[in-house]
Order: sequence, then structure tokens, then C-alpha cells
Amino acid sequence: AAASTQAQTAPDSLKRRPDSTAKAQSPPDSVLKIQPASTPPVNVPQTPNPVKTATPASAGQNTLTKTSRPNASDTTSRVLKGIVKDEKGVPIPGAIVQVVGKPNKATTDADGRFTINLPDRNASIQVLFIGYATRTLKPGSQTEVSVSLVPSNQKLDDVVVTGYSSQQKKDLTGAVSQIKSSDIDNMPVGGVDQVLQGKAAGVSVTQGTGAPGEGIAVRIRGVGTINNNNPLYVIDGVPSTSGINQISPTDIESISILKDASSASIYGARASNGVVVVTTKKGKSGKSTVNLSQYTGVQVHGDLIKMANTPQYVAAFNAAAAADGRTQIPASLAASLPDVNWQKEVLQPALINNSNLSVSGGNETGNYLVAANYYKQDGLINNSAYDRFNLRTAVNSTLSKIFSTGLNLNLSYAKTKQVGASGDGFGNGNQGASVMRYALFRTPATPVFKANGDYVDLPENSNFFGDGLNPVGYADNFDRNNNAYSALGNVFLEAKIIDGLKFRTTLGGTLVITDFKQFFKIWGDRAQNSPGSLARSNANQLDYNWTNTLTYNMKFGEKHNLNILAGTENIKSRTNGLSASRSIFPNQSEDFQYLDNGIGVQQNGENESRWALFSLFGRADYQYADKYLASFTVRRDGSSRLNPVNRYGNFYSGSVGWRLDQEAFLKNFKSLSMLKLRASIGQTGNQEISNYAYTSLNSFVGFYPFGGTSVIGNSLTSRGNANITWETSTQTNFGLDAGFFDNKLQFSADYFIRDNSDILFANPLPPSAGGGGSPYVNAGKVRNQGLELQISYRDQISENWSYDVSGNMATLKNKVLSLAGSSIVGGRIDNEYYATLTAVGQPIGAFYLLPMEGIFQNDLDIFTHAYQGTGIQPGDVKYKDSNGDGIIDEKDREFAGSPIPKLTYGFTGNLKFKQFDLSVFFQGAYGNKLYNQVATDTEGFYRAFNITERVATGSWNGEGSTNQFPRLTWSSASSTNNKRPSTRFLEDGSYLRLKNLQIGYSLSPKVLSALKIASMRIYVSGQNLLTFTKYTGLDPEIYTSSNGQGDGVRAVGIDWGTYPSARVYTLGLNLNF
Amino acid sequence: CKKFLDQPALGYYSDADLFSNEATAKTAVNAAYIPLTFTDASSNPVWVLGDVATDDVVIGGNAGEQADYTAIDLYNILPGNAAVQSLWARYYDGINRCNVITDGLTADNANISETARTQLLSQAKFLRAYYYFMLTNFYGNIPLRLKVSTLADAALAASPQAQVYTQIEKDLTEAAAGLPQKWDSNTDQGRATKGAALALLAKASLFQQKYAQAIQYSEQVEALGYALTDRFADNFNASAKTNSEVIFSVWHVRGSQPSQGNSLNYWFAPRSLNGAGTFFPTQSLVNNFEANDPRLDLTIERAGKPYYDSTFDPSWSSTGYLSKKHIQPVSEVPTTTKNDGNLNYEALRFADLLLIKAEALNESGQSAAALVPLNKVRERARKNYDGTPPADLLAAITVVNQSDLRDVIRRERRSELALEFQRFFDVIRYGQAYADAAMKPGSPNFNYTNNRFFPIPQTELNANGKL
Repeated sequence: AAASTQAQTAPDSLKRRPDSTAKAQSPPDSVLKIQPASTPPVNVPQTPNPVKTATPASAGQNTLTKTSRPNASDTTSRVLKGIVKDEKGVPIPGAIVQVVGKPNKATTDADGRFTINLPDRNASIQVLFIGYATRTLKPGSQTEVSVSLVPSNQKLDDVVVTGYSSQQKKDLTGAVSQIKSSDIDNMPVGGVDQVLQGKAAGVSVTQGTGAPGEGIAVRIRGVGTINNNNPLYVIDGVPSTSGINQISPTDIESISILKDASSASIYGARASNGVVVVTTKKGKSGKSTVNLSQYTGVQVHGDLIKMANTPQYVAAFNAAAAADGRTQIPASLAASLPDVNWQKEVLQPALINNSNLSVSGGNETGNYLVAANYYKQDGLINNSAYDRFNLRTAVNSTLSKIFSTGLNLNLSYAKTKQVGASGDGFGNGNQGASVMRYALFRTPATPVFKANGDYVDLPENSNFFGDGLNPVGYADNFDRNNNAYSALGNVFLEAKIIDGLKFRTTLGGTLVITDFKQFFKIWGDRAQNSPGSLARSNANQLDYNWTNTLTYNMKFGEKHNLNILAGTENIKSRTNGLSASRSIFPNQSEDFQYLDNGIGVQQNGENESRWALFSLFGRADYQYADKYLASFTVRRDGSSRLNPVNRYGNFYSGSVGWRLDQEAFLKNFKSLSMLKLRASIGQTGNQEISNYAYTSLNSFVGFYPFGGTSVIGNSLTSRGNANITWETSTQTNFGLDAGFFDNKLQFSADYFIRDNSDILFANPLPPSAGGGGSPYVNAGKVRNQGLELQISYRDQISENWSYDVSGNMATLKNKVLSLAGSSIVGGRIDNEYYATLTAVGQPIGAFYLLPMEGIFQNDLDIFTHAYQGTGIQPGDVKYKDSNGDGIIDEKDREFAGSPIPKLTYGFTGNLKFKQFDLSVFFQGAYGNKLYNQVATDTEGFYRAFNITERVATGSWNGEGSTNQFPRLTWSSASSTNNKRPSTRFLEDGSYLRLKNLQIGYSLSPKVLSALKIASMRIYVSGQNLLTFTKYTGLDPEIYTSSNGQGDGVRAVGIDWGTYPSARVYTLGLNLNF
Repeated sequence: CKKFLDQPALGYYSDADLFSNEATAKTAVNAAYIPLTFTDASSNPVWVLGDVATDDVVIGGNAGEQADYTAIDLYNILPGNAAVQSLWARYYDGINRCNVITDGLTADNANISETARTQLLSQAKFLRAYYYFMLTNFYGNIPLRLKVSTLADAALAASPQAQVYTQIEKDLTEAAAGLPQKWDSNTDQGRATKGAALALLAKASLFQQKYAQAIQYSEQVEALGYALTDRFADNFNASAKTNSEVIFSVWHVRGSQPSQGNSLNYWFAPRSLNGAGTFFPTQSLVNNFEANDPRLDLTIERAGKPYYDSTFDPSWSSTGYLSKKHIQPVSEVPTTTKNDGNLNYEALRFADLLLIKAEALNESGQSAAALVPLNKVRERARKNYDGTPPADLLAAITVVNQSDLRDVIRRERRSELALEFQRFFDVIRYGQAYADAAMKPGSPNFNYTNNRFFPIPQTELNANGKL
């Protein structure tokens, strides 16, 4: 039986329910919710391995003859009435109900009701419906029953989509985490990557900032390289590094995260950061269904930073001015000042909305699904928003006994309005300085608007109240729009050549056209953005893949089972970009924000780049007696990104599994439902480097106006290294899966060691080497190791009560084992000052800072301490003389922790009571550090910026007053000393967050039938309602600033005044017809 | 499938392509000039290290605003200081662009005529020498890179200043031999010339106290026909960019994108005129000007004088003074495009050369001869008096006592070249006594031994293990 089931479920991710022959599996026990009206649950035999109960394919066979023992004492024939419903409680018309072993048969009517004659009290009935698992039950003395059917393709517990195929979970020997649509549904998030957060052990998901549409960093099993750490996404068979942003979370059927080498290495050179395999929803054989889901909500800000109010600011300013001999703010002026909370001015309530409509259905020769989704999220900060419109269609058709074909197509349009969300605007390609940063800087004593309604720009008395931008005016006049139009999809043709041998060819790809428009208005009285400019750019990226696979399933004798997969893949990518800009727009209104209307400088540009990958791959899975499992994978990749002489690489992996529960010596442990040990080892690669890294390139570096006539300059822009080769990740994984009490309790553990060697990285040359990008080198070796645990328990307490709880946690230890060349700095935190150092023996991007020891309390303290420079006074920050040379300088810096959490975890609980349901989802991280860069200014108090309340009121003001906050002074010597990048601004970044809380109510069948709808659920939900953290910044869930993007993982966890995540309250509705 | 994987770099020149013909080779030379410009004056902070660091200028703005520049002004300088870092990176970038040319334009290159090759190489050598001259005077002993750096030599120890100077002289000598006296085409104005190479040789010689050489090179420059302009202000005027006094200018134009404008106009203008207001001349500098010296009002803005086409308010500056050099009238550069000026920066002008010659003559014991070039400079200044000059105005110097004349020349140099980013070099090379007297009143933290050079930037130390 196992072999035939394997044959049915193994093929691929696209063919969900091709025909009626695959319906025969019994549902997973714990999903089963069959509730006869008034008797205890029907006794369905539970077996440790559900597959063993699978029936032969032909419908109408009695599968449970053991339960239908004849009972001579009651042979009275009688009438049984009932209703058949699906898993959502929607009545199923057209289902077949038959008495086991008898010819008695009935079909449910339009309301799912049936009437059947039972020959005797011990008779069992069987309920069949295409696309659903067959149910068998014994009504006993009941006269009316309610039967719930479970779709057989919801058996995601049993079938796991893996690379180029799918496998039965029981046969899996690699480490694969799975997320199902039920984990995703109704989560008010914009992107698929966000739903991964906290759901799978070892998968760390962090958003860059809280801005709508902001990028998400997904890290699978740590940070393996200084280079690109993003996983490869494979969406319905289309490999993509960015396509995940193009699909709607509501379209997801399942997500498999291939974590270890055994599962991922079939993707070879692109798999070293793990692979996320996404399968979208498909139509189901059976009746057509219409699903409408809708939620609408409001987003508000969470806890704000306690900043000084006007009286506190004035007092602090005057204290510093008195200390330094500067003019103080006169009392007369102070009395008339406003008191503005800039954080509240900037963070306004905003709407979030999601509407989704899908229609799907199918029959025995094909199925279809069409869906439309509209997601809209306004940002807390004005002029930031994310809108996405998706249209999706999936069609599968069986052409003949041999051929079948199908199409998946996802069209999307996404519009992101961006404001400066992080960073200080330094460097190229960022979004401009963070609005929040200016909101924190702006003193409370400055009003937002003038009496005439204009923005207050430069404050009056800027010597008292600073020269920072008005954050409200800045956000309002900063217009930055990113439009992305994309198509993602594939067509395939599959041929079942002979029994067990299948060929499949797929042509897939993504086309992404991004269209960017940025307009800077002149506003305020300082003409900050003069002369006003419009920048446009347009890029189109076409990636396509042509993939061919041949699979063969063989069975030798009774016990040997072998599956073989062989394939080829061609991947090519082409990106073309166009840009144009003009300055000086006499008419700044929106109707005139077109290039033609600019009268100033015109500029334009174009570029194109291409890369290609050619691959051969194969996989063999072998099972002996369902107990001993083995798997072997090989992939050979050739990449255009490497020097032609060494552009090919081979990647192998192997794994074994042992199903102890199948062994005779464990058969007596009744409570044990499943026990499997797994081990794997293998290699994967990383080719995410620039397209032409092996050769030096010269290009445009600017113009020079000789005699007033501009001429072009070309020089070295990128240094090549002809010797670079693949970065290779070697991973060892040991795993254990166990199930107890009929799999009510499930437990899974994995331990891994992942060594990335020859990591590809462009180690920065010293500035004295001049411009021109550093050459990529195979720079060293990094080890990630960790333990991942996943546990779940689900139970039905009574007819009305059921619950499930699940939790996952992962530890991670990241360490650089070797580095070619010098240690690598990263994470600019001040002009040319960097917060992190990537060095041997430390985690990647570890903070490397001057340790603060306290505050100098008196002159003797200064005199006896190591020399810190001229002009240091009591009340100034004291640093540790780490190297004991009597002088405080950069040589005293020490490693001070890492932004990589030591532990990440998630917890989900669901409770159902009658029509009500409740779910909670917590998520957290522990053991990471955050550098609160913005505190350099908001707590460093060295100019007319606002400061935190605790600094305004708690600074050093005499011996013994505090050892935490230095005295209030702007003197150059002291303030240069006090705001030095140091552990003073490094904080514990651990947090625990109530990510989601949801209460739902499903309408009862009575109401539903009155309303003529199949099912309806309404719910309220709250996101980010509670956060437990010691971090003093706005949001501990930050990843990196727009400044730090170029530094990648070496600039993580630095908070420049980041756009915070919103607290979201939503009201939602799910409706099925 | 081999073809499938061959994907050329589109829109890029390989090293060989770049020097495959004269036109593209010329673009490589053009690139080497770009780091000289002030299109972003914060990334070319020669004005901070050259003048703000001295007794001539204090940093402007409200307290705390330009913390790193203030730190330079007051000598609380850490190796992470922005100005210290930026200048280093920018000038070394210039050096690398020169090295791209000297590496790529090899003698066996048959695609480019020998004349063209010599001219291109000579420009590269002049520029490399210029960048090294600035760097070694700001930072002392520095890494000497004469080829495009690779991973293997990324870490490089500092060479002693004398060795850097040896290379500067070698490059300049070769450049002087290969460069034309004058570029024929208008569109080549601003390229290095023989005169520029010789003038920098004279300056480098003087800075090394090689007085005989300094005199000799100065005379060679003089022989090329340079002359002081009658109007002192022509050296700071966008409409007189090619005056007879220019030896080497850094060019700027307005209204280009990416900007090729001069942003000093923004950095030095007061906030009330939409400038940054960061550069305030000191009373000490004002006091250096002799009575009625017409250059004072052409160099420094003060109470009661028109600030080009604007009315000056002394409260615009904490010292009551603003620079008039590097600034353009609002009629030329409106407040809306303040940082897009088209003023050139005269990096080497004939008055500088005359004072180099005067100093070299005096130091080598020819004090009487030194009076000739010195008095030329004074005479031109006198001509700029508005109206009939007082009889004793900037009278010809007759002092021949070497020590006395030294003081006179130093004072003259400070007045003539004020706010042209020369002061730091002069103060330091005049020695500790002079430097302490000049710097300590404004910056008590100044310590000649520690501060005669700026620290090697932290970013360099981070990545160059041999320093």
C-alpha cells in the first residue's frame, strides 16, 4: 500500500488532486472532526501510521470491516437521516452515502442531506465525495447523524513538497519545516515572507523597519556568509530571489523550508542559505466554491520613547549653557513656548485592508482556480503606504492517459510609497533620512505650523531650538513611489511514459517591471530641497527557467522501493534599467510632476546586465521495508558569474533515516505513534555575487568641465579576481521526529552544524587603495550550529471544546572560523565610524566598541584613570582602558555582543469552543544586542536637539549623582568624549511580542442555511499588542538601516531612529458559497 | 551551453578596452581630475584642514552643529573625524585614478600616438604628485601607491615623507617634460601644463627647504610668461577664469547633473542667504592685513561693507566676518541653487609662486633679491585701492635683514593667500615657535608635536594592517 500511495503523492507540487484515484487515504487523525449528533465520537481506529489504513483505490469498498461486526441481537431495519458537511461546516451536495457491504445507497441533496435505509443496528455507512477522504461510521442507534468530510489534499501533514518533487513526511530524511495555509490565514500581513516569522524553528524573520512594504530579512539557520544571506525562493517551481514579494499570502497553500543540505542541495549553487518552496492554492476536484475573505483594520503606534517636554528641554538646555557659558533661554521666552510631542505628530492612525475573492473547482480531467486579491496598508507616517493587487489563475488538465498540462500565472501590481524609514540619508541608494529620526531630534518648543498654515521650517532662535527638519513637513513633501508590475508563472507538460516513469518539462519565469518616481517639492523657508527635482527610473527584469525532469519509481520485491529523479535546468536573467531626471519645476502641483515640465538640468541613464546558470541534477530515494530510508542528491552547476575556467561546481548530499516505530521491539509501546531518526550531510553553494566579479571593470565616474565644457571620466569601478570560486556550505544534520498518543503530541528536534567555507566577499580595501570596488575573494569560513525544537499538542476535550498548542525554538551559535586578510568593519554609526567587526572567533557583525565604565565623579577619578584627552571634566563618560596602556583610544575597543539572537522562538495556541475560536501567537528573540545609534543624539546632548526625559532629568549633576548619564554640556572636548561610539549606546535587544491575538465566531448551520451561504466566520484580531523588552528605542524588531544595506549582515541591529511597527486592530470576515 | 554561460559585462570597459584608443584613454585622464573639485565640499574638506584648523578661520554654525569640524578647529581630533577621513579617501582616490593610467598606458601601446600618450601620462603624473603633495603635508608619512592596488598589496606600510617627496619630484619632473606650455583648444583649458608642474616643483622644493631648486623652478615658471592680474579679485571671479595669473585651476560649471558646481558657495555663505555659514574668518586674520590693504575687503566681508549684491549683517557670523573668496553674488548663483556655483578654485597662482621665490631667496641668503618678487605682489595689491591710494600704502619693502624679511614675507603670504587653504601648511612648516604663537590663542589644545599632522584615519587603520 505504501508504494502505491507514494506513487500518487510523490510527483510534484502542481498536481494536487488530479483524479479520483487518489482519494483513498484516511485523514490525519487529529484533523478529523466528525461529530455525530448525540453520541460519543464514532470509534475510528487510530493507527500510528495513517497510510497503513489507506484503501485500494476503488470507491465503494468497505474499508473498515472490523468495525462492522454483526450483532445478532438487533437486525431491525430502519431509516437514518443525516447531513454531510465539509471541514468548514458547509453542506456537501452530491456526496454518496452507502451502507458497507450492502447495495443501499443514497446521494445528498442540495443542502447536503440524505436519507438511507440501514439493514441493522451494526451496519456501517460510508460517505464518499470526490476530493475528500472517505468516511466510515457506525450510527448505532442514532436516527440522525452529521458527517464532516476532510479534503484529502489537506493532508499536508503527510505530504511535504520538496525540491522538484514531494515526499511523504514519513519518508523524509532531511530537515524540512512546513507552514500550512491554516497558519497563514487571517494574519494581517502584507507579504509572504512575514508569515514565516515565528512559525518554523531555525527560520529567523526580521523586518527592516515597520514601514509598509518594507523588505524582510529571512535567515535560515543563521548567517552563513558575509555575502548575500537570502534564501532561494521556489514558487510553483520557479526559482526566484525576489518573487516572494509578488504573491499574496492568501494564495499560499503551503510553504516548505528546506533547511539542511539533504533537502536543499538539489538546488545546488543557489541553496546555501536554504530554500523556501512555496506552493500556491489550486482548484479541487468537486463542486465549485466561492470564497470571499475580507479584513479591515486600523493601525496605531505602540509605546513611544519618553522624550523631554518643553520645560524639561529648557531646563536641560540652560544647565548645559550655564556650564559652557552660552546664552540661556530667557524665562520670558520659555514661558511662551509650545510643547509638541513630535512622535505623536508624525505617527498618525492608518488603515489596513485586505479583500480576497477566489473561485475554484474541478472535475476528473482538470481543475481551476481564479483569485483576486487587494491589499492596502497605509503607513503610520504620512506618505508611506503599500498597495498590492493580485490576479492569479491556476489550471491543470489531463489531456490523455499519458499527457497532462497546466498553467500557473500570478499577475501583480504593487505600489510602495516610501518615506525615509531608517538611517540618516548618508550614502547612495537609500530612502533619505528617517522621519522618526527628525521627530526625535526636533525640540518640543517648536510648533508644527505657523499661524498661516505653513510649516515651521528653521525654528526661530535656532541656537536654542536647533536646525533639524520639521518631520511633518519633511514627510508630507517627500514623495517617493515605487510601482512594481510583475508576472510570475509557468506552463508544464507532463507525460506518464510507462507505469512509474514520468517526464515533465516546465517553462517558467518572472517578469518584473519596476517604475520609480520621486518628486522633491520645495517647501518651508529654507528651500531644503531646492531647486526641486523629479527623478524617474524604470527597470525590467526577466528571469526564465526551463526545467526538465524524469522520475522513475521502482519497487523490487516486497520491501525495496526506489525513486529516481534526474533533471536539467537552464536559468537566464536579464535586467535593463532606464533613468531620467529634471530639476526646477515652476509648477509643483501633482498635475505637473512630469519630466516635460521641468526646466532645469536634465539627466538620463541606461544599463543592462545578464547572468546565466546551467545545471544537471539527480536524486535517488530508497526505502527498505518502510523502516530504513536513504537518499542521495547531486547537482552540477555552471555559472556565468565565475571565470570560464572554473565556472562549474558539483554539490552532493546524502541522508539516512530509521523508522523505529516500525520495528517489532517498539510495537508494544502503544502510546508511541511514530519515531524516526534522521541524519544527513551534504554541500550547497552560493553564487550571489556581482555578475562579473572575475574581471576588472572600468566605467563612468563623473564629468569634469575643462574650459567650461564637460567631458566624461571613466575609471576603475570594480576590481576583479580571476581565481574566485564557489562559496560552499557543508551541513550536517541530526534529527528526530516522534509522535505520541495517536500523534496528538508531536515532537521534532534537529541539531545542525553548517560550515560555509570559501565565503565570497569583497573585503574592503583600505581607502588609500582608492576607489573602484574591492575584488571578491573566497574570504574565509563561518560556522553556524544550533538546536531546533518543535513541539505540538492537539486535543479534543469534548464535543464543544478543542485546542491545540505548538511551540518552536531554535538556538544559534555563529562564529567566524577563519578569514583571509584583515578583520572586516561594518555598520557605520558616525561619520566614518563603524560599530561592528567581523573577526575570527566572533560572530559575523559582532559589535566592537569602546566599553563605557561609568562617569567620572571627581578630578581625582580623572587623574587616576587612563588619559582620555584634554578638557575632560567630572561628569564626563569614563571608558575602560582595555589594553591597559594608560590612554583611551580606539585600541581599547572590545567585542560587546552580537546582533544575532542566541535563541528565537514562537508559540501558537488555538482554542475552539462551539462556534467561537481564539488564537494567540507569540514570537520572540533572546540574546541579541542593538546599537541605539539615534541615542547618540537624543541622549548624547551636544547640540540643540531634543533629548530623552531620562537624560534631561537624570544627568550627572555632582559627585555620586549617577554613573549612567554624563553631565549636560556642549563643550567640544566633553561632548566629543561623551558621545563617542561606545557600549553606552549598546542595549539588550531581547524581546517577546504578542504578534497576533484573534477571536472568531463561525455562524451556526441553522443561521447559515437561513442565509443561504455555506459558511461564515467573523473575527477580530490584534497585532503587536504587547511587547516585552528592555530596549529603550521605539521597536526592538529592526533589522538594518538604509545606510547599512551595503554592509549587509555586518550592519545589523543598528537603530537610527527607525520607523516602528504598528499595533493593528482588524475586523475580518470569511465567507464561502 | 558554453555560449549560454558567456555573458559579457555590458557597458563596461575592460582594462585593455580603456586604453585601446586615444579617446577612451583621455576619459581615464579626465577622471583623475574629478577629486579636485568642490562639487561636494564636505567630501573635499581641504578648507577644513587647510584653514579651519588654523588661526585664520573658526567653524561657524550653532554650537554643536558641525561637531567634527569643531573638533578640528579646537584640536579634539579623533582618527574617526569626518574631515580627516574624507580628505584622505578622496585624494587617494585621485591617486588611484592616476595609477590606472600609468598602469594601463604602457609604452608598448601601439593604438595611441606617442605624443598623445606622453601628454596623457604627464597629466596623470602631475595629478598624482599634486595629490601626494597635499596628503603628505596633511598626514606626514603615508602609504606610497604607484600602481593600482590589488588584494596582495592592500595593506601597505607608510613611506617616510622624504620618500614621498622624492616620488613627487620625479613625477613632476617627468610631467614638466611632457606637458605643453599651453593647451591650444579652449576645451582643454584646465588641464595640467608645464607651468603647473614646475610651479608645484617649486613649492615642493621650498617645503623641503631645497631653496636653490625652488628658485630655479620659480624662474622657469616666470619664463613661461605668467603675470599678476591687475585686478586682484579676478582670481575669485567666475568671469575671469583664464586670467594671466592662473597656473592651475580646478574648474566648475553651473547647472549640470551630476553637479559640477562649486559648493563652497553654499558652505561659506551665511544662513540668511541659504548658505551653511560654516567658515568665519578671525580677527587675527583681519589684523594681519596692513592698514588700508585693499585686499582685506576683497578677501573678508565686514561691517559696513556690501557683501556683493547683498547687505551684510555682522550678526551673520560669530566673528563678524565672512569670506569673500569662494563666494558668488546672488545675481550669479541664486539662493535656490546655492551649492552649484561656477567659481574655479585657483590651486596654484602666480602670486603664490612669487612668494615662494621670495621666501626661497631670503632663506638662501639672497634677501635683497627676494624683495623683487615680494614687491611685485605688494604693488599689484596697491593697484587695487579704490581711489587714490595713500602714499604709504603697502610701500615697497626694503628690509634686507633675513630674519626681519622672513616675518614680512610670512605676513605677506598670509594676507595675499588668505582663505585659500594654504595656512595650515605654512603655519606648520614655519616651525613650532611660530605655530604655537599662531594656534594656541584660539586652540589651546594645539600641540605641535601631535598636531603637525592629522591622524591617519580610522578607516585606513581598520583595513590596512601595516600602519
